[in-house]
Amino acid sequence: MKSHRKKTLGIILFIAAGLSVAIGLSLYALSSNIDLFYTPTQVAAGEVTPGQRIRVGGMVKEGSVKHSEEQLQVNFITTDYAHDVDVQYSGILPDLFREGQGIVAEGSMTPEGQFVASRVLAKHDENYMSVEVKAAMDAAERQRVMGQIQEQGQSQGNYQ
Amino acid sequence: MWVWFAKLGSPRWFYELSGKWLPWLYAAMTLLMLVGLTWALLFVPEDYQQGHTIRIMYVHVPVASISLACFPLMAVAGAITLVWKMKLADMVAKCVAPIGLWFTGLALATGAIWGQPIWGTWWAWDARLTSMLIQFFLFVGVIALRSAIESTDAAAKACAVLAIVGAINVPIIKYSVEWWNTLHQPASSISFDSAAPNPPEVWVPLLIMIGAVYLLFIISLILRTRNEILIRERRSQWVTDLITRSQS
Repeated sequence: MKSHRKKTLGIILFIAAGLSVAIGLSLYALSSNIDLFYTPTQVAAGEVTPGQRIRVGGMVKEGSVKHSEEQLQVNFITTDYAHDVDVQYSGILPDLFREGQGIVAEGSMTPEGQFVASRVLAKHDENYMSVEVKAAMDAAERQRVMGQIQEQGQSQGNYQ
Repeated sequence: MWVWFAKLGSPRWFYELSGKWLPWLYAAMTLLMLVGLTWALLFVPEDYQQGHTIRIMYVHVPVASISLACFPLMAVAGAITLVWKMKLADMVAKCVAPIGLWFTGLALATGAIWGQPIWGTWWAWDARLTSMLIQFFLFVGVIALRSAIESTDAAAKACAVLAIVGAINVPIIKYSVEWWNTLHQPASSISFDSAAPNPPEVWVPLLIMIGAVYLLFIISLILRTRNEILIRERRSQWVTDLITRSQS
């Protein structure tokens, strides 16, 4: 390679490397602001002030969804399996909303520690499969759990 | 290797060789597109969560992955333009920009159409969607910059620098779903087990569609570049010969 070409290539690589470092550092500094939502653990740690408009993301806790009898109002708990956030929402839920589903709720915390949401979005996970595959997986899982229960029963029987 | 490299830089050589490639590329693209689209739209089983909405993935993922390849390609072509002043590299850099813009726009549009029924919103300002929107505007910026500078050489240099700088956005788009919490799901890991999430029945047609759309991209790029070669080399002997031969 000729020397002037080497020099140009050197300058280009130097600029690209310098910019990457600069952008990398600024993204690192901004990282908490780039996150779309707070996790329930962050909320529990007091990173959120009541009244501030935020998003909270987590799983809908099993058995926590309570629909109001007359209104659209719904109460549920969103969790990251370490901490919980009690969410109150009045409006139409996305089709994918159900227990165990990842969601992102937009709203604010009340001073009492309840999250009043003005919008609830469903998160989709990275797993795609047909109804049949899902049913087969669930059946296999049930069989595994049943087997474990039986084994436990037998081992307990041996002790008696 | 350097002889081959120098030869590849010759627009005439590229024009003649790509002319021989094109029929094969057309045939392969048509075949993959027909198989892929039929499979994805008619035979992929309904998803257990999304139902038929999963079919949008077979367009969204290919166009998005190709849009991410366009910027690095433009940056590499730009670097070659700056260092070796290869004419063909700048023609490719010019021609890939509008195609990249289209693929980025299609990825954003199909993503929004999928997001409305699944997430419950067309748009969210999460890291993946926002960085993709930035890539859209970067392509607009590169195209605008090129048309704003009259001198071909000066425009080539300015666009090359912008392409190299803008390419830093590509890893940010790719890893945004891992570095930050986003509404967009992370990349899936495929499974060879037909009784596990992401089984072959889901990803084999996706692979075919990615191949088909990649070929579509390569064909579009070759066709645009061939036009650009004819325009820029219109005064050279071989182009005038080509025109007289086609007229006779």
